[in-house]
Amino acid sequence: MKIQWVALLLWSVISLSAKAQTTGKLQLSLKQQTGEYHAPYTAVWIENDRAGSVRSLLLWRDDPKWLKDIRRWWRKVGRKDAALVDAITSATRVAGNHTQTFSLNDDDQKPLAAGRYTLLVEVVREKGGRELIRMPFELDGTDKNYNAKGSTELGKINFSIQHKFN
Amino acid sequence: MKKTIAIVLASLLSFQLAAHSRWVLPSHFTLSSEEGEWIMMDVTASNETFNVDKPMGSDKVMITKPDGSKSRPSSSYRGHRKSVVDFFMDDAGTYKVTNNGEPSYMTRFKLNDKRQRRWISKSDLGQLPKGATDIETRYGLARIESYITMNNPTDNFVTDGRLLELVPVTHPSDIAQEEPATFKLLFNGKAQSGVMVEITREGVRYRNDPQTITLTSNAKGEVSFTPVHAGRYLLIAEHEQKAANQKLADKDAGEVFLSFEVLLN
Repeated sequence: MKIQWVALLLWSVISLSAKAQTTGKLQLSLKQQTGEYHAPYTAVWIENDRAGSVRSLLLWRDDPKWLKDIRRWWRKVGRKDAALVDAITSATRVAGNHTQTFSLNDDDQKPLAAGRYTLLVEVVREKGGRELIRMPFELDGTDKNYNAKGSTELGKINFSIQHKFN
Repeated sequence: MKKTIAIVLASLLSFQLAAHSRWVLPSHFTLSSEEGEWIMMDVTASNETFNVDKPMGSDKVMITKPDGSKSRPSSSYRGHRKSVVDFFMDDAGTYKVTNNGEPSYMTRFKLNDKRQRRWISKSDLGQLPKGATDIETRYGLARIESYITMNNPTDNFVTDGRLLELVPVTHPSDIAQEEPATFKLLFNGKAQSGVMVEITREGVRYRNDPQTITLTSNAKGEVSFTPVHAGRYLLIAEHEQKAANQKLADKDAGEVFLSFEVLLN
């Protein structure tokens, strides 16, 4: 416990001097499906403890017409900022494992403050289902590792947080 | 005993909402688009939420665009159980769709024990047939409305101060399951307490309990509820009071029929 507090203090100080790098690594698997298959639309973002979006991480999509079907993401993130959406957009991915690393910054590229957040992964597939996985996590200056498992559209999800002090 | 009272009370409340429910039901409440989108809307009168029943014209359908300008449907079809209209949404923002008439006078009376009505004010009661009893004249307006949002929502909530009006507090595009939603009711432009509101989710045909939520507006004119299920809902609000102009009507009355969707969370 004490060590955590020291680490948090240290991390805060270092964060302020902008020398710490907090990196998130997300590994997710889009499930193999049977029958007619359209690659799913996928969005990942971070909400603060008041359910407000603080960081858009990725969007795999095709036609903007169907963005509204990524229901929560569209309401919380997508519809509000077209430029932000463009910046994180890439083409849809097919079933399988995908890995992405990113700095744990907010949308303005400022480091996220210590506290409780939720990583959200929302997947919607044409002629298929929708799945939204919430992964609560905490930024307290220590490294973390979180696991979750989807059931219909998503397989295993791993989210790890690493602090590097330069 | 308490339960019986509650049931009796509930049936009394629903009895007061006597006329047919009406609505405009858009094909989409939420749209994402870079080039604009067509939507279609059903216009109908029915007591079974979102299952059509009686014919209803769409001549009065008006669309208030995000910039406040008024527009009309580009085409329409009138069927025996509903009318359908087409509209192209070209600007991002929130559109308000209405199928409102103008406030009008209606006189109800009984003749030989049969209920009848005429579209006249108290100044024309001389036109009623001899022997008419239980005469009551209402000055009323039914507002039939819905909101559609393409891309970023805007507050397209202009009021006109006539009889009963509903102003969203929670933006209609932001109503989601398990999150509280609030609407405000105005009567003659002022927050109105005691307005009766019923909210019903679609699909009543396929469940035994209609699961209608009954609310009454508070001192701020507000009603709040937290929907459990995502889906399309019809809100019906009704209020009447002693008419401001007793020479023309006994009561001033207003109804609001709002179709909205509750989003998945």
